[in-house]
Amino acid sequence: MLDSIDKDLLNRIQGDFPISVDPYGDIGRSLGISGEEALGRVRRLIETGVLRKVGPFFDARKMGYTSTLCAMDVPEAQLEAVAAIISAYPQVTHNYLRAGHPNLWFTVIAESRERIDEILSGISKKSSISPIHNLNAMKMFKVKVDLKVGE
Amino acid sequence: MEPRDIELIRTLQREDIFLMPRPFEEAATILGWELEEVLGRAVALKEAGVIRRFGAALTPRNAGFKSNSMIVWQVDDCRAEEAGTRLSQHQRVSHCYIRPSFEGFPYNVYTMVHGNSPEDLKKIVADLSALAGTSSCRTLDSLKEYKKSSPVYFPKSLEPAGA
Repeated sequence: MLDSIDKDLLNRIQGDFPISVDPYGDIGRSLGISGEEALGRVRRLIETGVLRKVGPFFDARKMGYTSTLCAMDVPEAQLEAVAAIISAYPQVTHNYLRAGHPNLWFTVIAESRERIDEILSGISKKSSISPIHNLNAMKMFKVKVDLKVGE
Repeated sequence: MEPRDIELIRTLQREDIFLMPRPFEEAATILGWELEEVLGRAVALKEAGVIRRFGAALTPRNAGFKSNSMIVWQVDDCRAEEAGTRLSQHQRVSHCYIRPSFEGFPYNVYTMVHGNSPEDLKKIVADLSALAGTSSCRTLDSLKEYKKSSPVYFPKSLEPAGA
Protein backbone atom coordinates (compact mmCIF):
# COMPACT_ATOMS: atom_id res chain seq x y z
CA MET A 1 0.00 0.00 0.00
CA LEU A 2 1.08 3.54 -0.68
CA ASP A 3 1.05 5.98 2.22
CA SER A 4 0.66 9.73 1.79
CA ILE A 5 4.43 10.31 1.69
CA ASP A 6 4.76 7.72 -1.10
CA LYS A 7 2.05 9.51 -3.07
CA ASP A 8 3.72 12.91 -2.60
CA LEU A 9 7.03 11.35 -3.55
CA LEU A 10 5.56 9.79 -6.71
CA ASN A 11 3.93 13.03 -7.77
CA ARG A 12 7.16 14.93 -7.02
CA ILE A 13 9.57 12.72 -8.95
CA GLN A 14 7.48 11.68 -11.95
CA GLY A 15 8.27 14.87 -13.76
CA ASP A 16 11.17 16.49 -12.00
CA PHE A 17 14.13 14.54 -10.63
CA PRO A 18 16.77 17.12 -9.62
CA ILE A 19 19.98 17.18 -11.67
CA SER A 20 22.21 17.95 -8.68
CA VAL A 21 24.95 16.56 -6.44
CA ASP A 22 22.46 15.25 -3.90
CA PRO A 23 19.10 14.75 -5.66
CA TYR A 24 17.59 12.54 -2.96
CA GLY A 25 18.51 15.12 -0.30
CA ASP A 26 16.75 17.78 -2.42
CA ILE A 27 13.67 15.59 -2.90
CA GLY A 28 13.62 14.74 0.82
CA ARG A 29 13.80 18.42 1.80
CA SER A 30 10.81 19.28 -0.38
CA LEU A 31 8.78 16.50 1.30
CA GLY A 32 10.00 16.96 4.87
CA ILE A 33 11.91 13.67 5.05
CA SER A 34 15.62 12.81 4.96
CA GLY A 35 17.48 12.00 1.75
CA GLU A 36 18.06 8.46 3.05
CA GLU A 37 14.35 7.98 3.55
CA ALA A 38 13.55 9.38 0.08
CA LEU A 39 16.02 6.95 -1.52
CA GLY A 40 14.77 4.06 0.66
CA ARG A 41 11.22 4.71 -0.44
CA VAL A 42 12.17 4.95 -4.11
CA ARG A 43 14.02 1.62 -3.84
CA ARG A 44 10.98 0.03 -2.23
CA LEU A 45 8.64 1.46 -4.90
CA ILE A 46 10.92 -0.03 -7.57
CA GLU A 47 11.05 -3.42 -5.79
CA THR A 48 7.28 -3.54 -5.43
CA GLY A 49 6.84 -2.57 -9.06
CA VAL A 50 4.99 0.71 -8.47
CA LEU A 51 7.86 2.49 -10.21
CA ARG A 52 9.26 1.06 -13.40
CA LYS A 53 12.36 3.23 -13.58
CA VAL A 54 13.99 6.39 -12.34
CA GLY A 55 16.26 8.36 -14.63
CA PRO A 56 16.26 10.26 -17.90
CA PHE A 57 13.62 9.83 -20.62
CA PHE A 58 14.99 10.72 -24.00
CA ASP A 59 13.45 12.29 -27.06
CA ALA A 60 14.50 9.61 -29.51
CA ARG A 61 13.99 11.85 -32.52
CA LYS A 62 16.36 14.51 -31.20
CA MET A 63 19.08 11.83 -31.09
CA GLY A 64 18.39 10.81 -34.68
CA TYR A 65 16.25 7.81 -33.85
CA THR A 66 12.88 7.06 -35.36
CA SER A 67 10.12 4.86 -34.00
CA THR A 68 6.84 3.41 -35.11
CA LEU A 69 3.91 1.23 -34.07
CA CYS A 70 3.22 -1.88 -36.12
CA ALA A 71 0.26 -4.22 -36.26
CA MET A 72 -0.14 -7.65 -37.79
CA ASP A 73 -2.77 -10.32 -37.65
CA VAL A 74 -1.40 -13.69 -36.58
CA PRO A 75 -3.34 -16.97 -36.50
CA GLU A 76 -3.69 -18.17 -32.90
CA ALA A 77 -1.65 -21.33 -33.42
CA GLN A 78 1.37 -19.27 -34.54
CA LEU A 79 1.12 -16.50 -31.96
CA GLU A 80 3.81 -17.65 -29.52
CA ALA A 81 6.32 -18.38 -32.26
CA VAL A 82 5.74 -15.13 -34.14
CA ALA A 83 5.78 -13.08 -30.92
CA ALA A 84 9.15 -14.65 -30.07
CA ILE A 85 10.57 -13.77 -33.51
CA ILE A 86 9.48 -10.16 -33.03
CA SER A 87 10.59 -9.80 -29.40
CA ALA A 88 14.06 -11.11 -30.26
CA TYR A 89 14.87 -7.83 -32.04
CA PRO A 90 16.51 -5.40 -29.57
CA GLN A 91 14.85 -2.59 -31.56
CA VAL A 92 11.42 -3.91 -30.55
CA THR A 93 10.59 -2.38 -27.15
CA HIS A 94 6.90 -3.25 -26.72
CA ASN A 95 5.04 -6.28 -28.03
CA TYR A 96 1.45 -7.07 -27.03
CA LEU A 97 -1.35 -9.42 -27.93
CA ARG A 98 -4.49 -7.28 -28.12
CA ALA A 99 -8.19 -8.00 -28.51
CA GLY A 100 -9.61 -8.05 -32.04
CA HIS A 101 -7.89 -7.96 -35.41
CA PRO A 102 -5.10 -7.25 -36.07
CA ASN A 103 -4.06 -8.89 -32.82
CA LEU A 104 -0.29 -8.42 -32.47
CA TRP A 105 0.94 -4.85 -31.83
CA PHE A 106 4.59 -3.89 -31.40
CA THR A 107 6.84 -0.83 -31.45
CA VAL A 108 10.17 -0.54 -33.27
CA ILE A 109 12.83 2.08 -32.64
CA ALA A 110 15.91 2.35 -34.87
CA GLU A 111 18.38 4.77 -36.44
CA SER A 112 16.44 5.24 -39.67
CA ARG A 113 13.21 4.47 -41.53
CA GLU A 114 15.26 2.19 -43.79
CA ARG A 115 16.47 0.16 -40.82
CA ILE A 116 12.86 -0.19 -39.60
CA ASP A 117 11.79 -1.37 -43.08
CA GLU A 118 14.60 -3.96 -43.01
CA ILE A 119 13.48 -5.24 -39.62
CA LEU A 120 9.86 -5.48 -40.77
CA SER A 121 10.79 -7.40 -43.92
CA GLY A 122 12.89 -9.68 -41.71
CA ILE A 123 9.89 -10.35 -39.46
CA SER A 124 7.63 -10.90 -42.45
CA LYS A 125 10.07 -13.36 -43.99
CA LYS A 126 10.76 -15.33 -40.80
CA SER A 127 7.09 -15.54 -39.86
CA SER A 128 5.73 -15.90 -43.42
CA ILE A 129 3.05 -13.40 -42.44
CA SER A 130 2.12 -10.26 -44.30
CA PRO A 131 1.09 -7.55 -44.35
CA ILE A 132 2.72 -5.83 -41.41
CA HIS A 133 1.00 -2.48 -41.02
CA ASN A 134 3.64 0.16 -40.29
CA LEU A 135 1.63 2.90 -38.56
CA ASN A 136 4.10 5.77 -38.51
CA ALA A 137 2.78 8.61 -36.38
CA MET A 138 1.74 11.53 -38.56
CA LYS A 139 1.44 13.65 -35.43
CA MET A 140 2.39 13.07 -31.81
CA PHE A 141 0.48 15.01 -29.17
CA LYS A 142 1.74 13.63 -25.89
CA VAL A 143 4.22 11.02 -24.70
CA LYS A 144 4.36 11.49 -21.01
CA VAL A 145 3.03 9.25 -18.31
CA ASP A 146 2.52 11.74 -15.49
CA LEU A 147 -0.48 10.45 -13.62
CA LYS A 148 -1.62 12.20 -10.49
CA VAL A 149 -1.48 9.55 -7.75
CA GLY A 150 -3.86 9.49 -4.85
CA GLU A 151 -7.08 10.82 -6.29
CA MET B 1 25.47 14.57 -31.27
CA GLU B 2 28.81 15.27 -29.62
CA PRO B 3 30.81 12.17 -28.67
CA ARG B 4 30.96 13.25 -25.01
CA ASP B 5 27.18 13.67 -24.92
CA ILE B 6 26.81 10.18 -26.38
CA GLU B 7 29.12 8.80 -23.68
CA LEU B 8 27.03 10.56 -21.04
CA ILE B 9 23.74 9.30 -22.52
CA ARG B 10 25.13 5.73 -22.46
CA THR B 11 26.00 6.08 -18.80
CA LEU B 12 22.76 7.75 -17.73
CA GLN B 13 20.84 4.79 -19.19
CA ARG B 14 22.26 2.62 -16.40
CA GLU B 15 19.23 2.40 -14.17
CA ASP B 16 21.26 1.11 -11.18
CA ILE B 17 23.00 4.46 -10.63
CA PHE B 18 19.70 6.22 -9.92
CA LEU B 19 19.12 3.92 -6.95
CA MET B 20 22.36 5.09 -5.31
CA PRO B 21 22.60 8.11 -2.99
CA ARG B 22 24.53 10.27 -5.47
CA PRO B 23 23.67 9.17 -9.01
CA PHE B 24 25.58 11.88 -10.86
CA GLU B 25 28.73 11.22 -8.83
CA GLU B 26 28.37 7.56 -9.81
CA ALA B 27 28.12 8.62 -13.46
CA ALA B 28 31.20 10.84 -13.08
CA THR B 29 33.19 7.93 -11.60
CA ILE B 30 32.12 5.57 -14.40
CA LEU B 31 33.03 8.13 -17.06
CA GLY B 32 36.18 9.37 -15.34
CA TRP B 33 34.88 12.94 -15.59
CA GLU B 34 34.51 15.82 -13.15
CA LEU B 35 31.08 15.91 -11.49
CA GLU B 36 30.59 19.47 -12.82
CA GLU B 37 30.82 18.29 -16.43
CA VAL B 38 28.26 15.52 -15.83
CA LEU B 39 25.80 17.95 -14.23
CA GLY B 40 26.47 20.68 -16.83
CA ARG B 41 25.99 18.38 -19.81
CA ALA B 42 22.92 16.71 -18.26
CA VAL B 43 21.29 20.11 -17.72
CA ALA B 44 22.20 21.16 -21.28
CA LEU B 45 20.72 17.95 -22.73
CA LYS B 46 17.53 18.59 -20.78
CA GLU B 47 17.37 22.21 -21.94
CA ALA B 48 17.91 21.08 -25.54
CA GLY B 49 15.04 18.62 -25.14
CA VAL B 50 17.24 15.57 -25.85
CA ILE B 51 16.30 14.54 -22.34
CA ARG B 52 12.54 15.00 -22.46
CA ARG B 53 12.29 14.74 -18.70
CA PHE B 54 14.25 13.49 -15.75
CA GLY B 55 12.11 11.53 -13.37
CA ALA B 56 10.30 8.35 -12.59
CA ALA B 57 7.98 6.19 -14.65
CA LEU B 58 5.08 4.53 -12.87
CA THR B 59 3.78 1.12 -13.65
CA PRO B 60 0.20 2.42 -13.92
CA ARG B 61 -1.51 -0.78 -12.79
CA ASN B 62 0.62 -0.93 -9.63
CA ALA B 63 0.04 2.73 -8.79
CA GLY B 64 -3.72 2.39 -8.50
CA PHE B 65 -4.57 2.56 -12.21
CA LYS B 66 -6.05 -0.89 -12.65
CA SER B 67 -7.74 -0.31 -16.00
CA ASN B 68 -5.42 0.79 -18.76
CA SER B 69 -6.15 0.51 -22.41
CA MET B 70 -5.20 1.55 -25.87
CA ILE B 71 -8.28 3.18 -27.37
CA VAL B 72 -8.41 4.10 -31.03
CA TRP B 73 -10.82 6.60 -32.58
CA GLN B 74 -12.26 7.06 -36.03
CA VAL B 75 -12.16 10.75 -36.85
CA ASP B 76 -12.47 12.46 -40.23
CA ASP B 77 -8.96 13.28 -41.44
CA CYS B 78 -9.70 17.00 -41.56
CA ARG B 79 -10.75 16.93 -37.88
CA ALA B 80 -8.07 14.54 -36.58
CA GLU B 81 -5.69 17.27 -35.44
CA GLU B 82 -8.38 19.09 -33.47
CA ALA B 83 -9.60 15.83 -31.90
CA GLY B 84 -6.04 14.80 -30.98
CA THR B 85 -5.35 18.16 -29.36
CA ARG B 86 -8.48 17.90 -27.23
CA LEU B 87 -7.97 14.22 -26.31
CA SER B 88 -4.34 14.78 -25.32
CA GLN B 89 -5.37 17.46 -22.81
CA HIS B 90 -7.40 14.96 -20.78
CA GLN B 91 -5.59 14.12 -17.53
CA ARG B 92 -5.92 10.37 -17.94
CA VAL B 93 -4.56 10.27 -21.49
CA SER B 94 -0.81 9.63 -21.43
CA HIS B 95 -0.11 9.18 -25.13
CA CYS B 96 -1.93 10.45 -28.21
CA TYR B 97 -1.01 10.08 -31.88
CA ILE B 98 -2.52 10.40 -35.34
CA ARG B 99 -1.66 7.31 -37.39
CA PRO B 100 -2.79 6.10 -40.81
CA SER B 101 -5.92 3.97 -40.99
CA PHE B 102 -5.75 0.83 -43.12
CA GLU B 103 -8.05 -1.63 -44.82
CA GLY B 104 -10.54 -3.04 -42.35
CA PHE B 105 -9.33 -0.68 -39.63
CA PRO B 106 -10.72 2.85 -40.01
CA TYR B 107 -9.28 4.24 -36.76
CA ASN B 108 -6.70 7.02 -36.99
CA VAL B 109 -6.34 8.64 -33.54
CA TYR B 110 -4.61 6.51 -30.90
CA THR B 111 -4.79 7.13 -27.14
CA MET B 112 -3.41 5.37 -24.06
CA VAL B 113 -5.95 5.81 -21.29
CA HIS B 114 -5.63 5.05 -17.57
CA GLY B 115 -8.53 4.44 -15.19
CA ASN B 116 -8.84 3.32 -11.58
CA SER B 117 -11.42 0.64 -12.40
CA PRO B 118 -13.44 -0.65 -15.36
CA GLU B 119 -16.28 1.73 -14.38
CA ASP B 120 -13.86 4.65 -14.16
CA LEU B 121 -12.45 3.77 -17.59
CA LYS B 122 -15.97 3.64 -19.02
CA LYS B 123 -16.67 7.14 -17.70
CA ILE B 124 -13.38 8.42 -19.12
CA VAL B 125 -14.20 6.90 -22.52
CA ALA B 126 -17.54 8.74 -22.49
CA ASP B 127 -15.71 12.02 -21.74
CA LEU B 128 -13.17 11.31 -24.46
CA SER B 129 -15.89 10.45 -26.94
CA ALA B 130 -17.36 13.92 -26.40
CA LEU B 131 -13.91 15.49 -26.81
CA ALA B 132 -13.17 13.52 -29.97
CA GLY B 133 -16.60 14.28 -31.40
CA THR B 134 -17.17 10.63 -32.29
CA SER B 135 -18.45 7.50 -30.62
CA SER B 136 -16.72 5.30 -33.17
CA CYS B 137 -13.85 3.87 -31.17
CA ARG B 138 -12.33 0.54 -30.26
CA THR B 139 -10.71 -0.54 -27.02
CA LEU B 140 -7.68 -2.68 -27.79
CA ASP B 141 -7.31 -4.42 -24.45
CA SER B 142 -3.95 -6.07 -23.98
CA LEU B 143 -4.40 -9.81 -23.50
CA LYS B 144 -0.74 -10.67 -23.14
CA GLU B 145 2.51 -8.75 -22.72
CA TYR B 146 5.29 -10.38 -24.73
CA LYS B 147 7.82 -7.61 -24.27
CA LYS B 148 8.12 -4.26 -22.53
CA SER B 149 11.55 -2.69 -22.25
CA SER B 150 13.29 0.66 -22.41
CA PRO B 151 14.98 1.43 -25.71
CA VAL B 152 18.78 1.26 -25.62
CA TYR B 153 20.31 4.29 -27.32
CA PHE B 154 23.85 4.15 -28.67
CA PRO B 155 24.55 0.54 -27.65
CA LYS B 156 28.29 -0.12 -27.34
CA SER B 157 28.18 -2.95 -29.87
CA LEU B 158 27.21 -0.52 -32.64
CA GLU B 159 30.16 1.71 -31.95
CA PRO B 160 32.63 1.72 -34.84
CA ALA B 161 36.09 0.43 -33.87
CA GLY B 162 38.34 3.21 -32.61
CA ALA B 163 35.48 5.72 -32.20
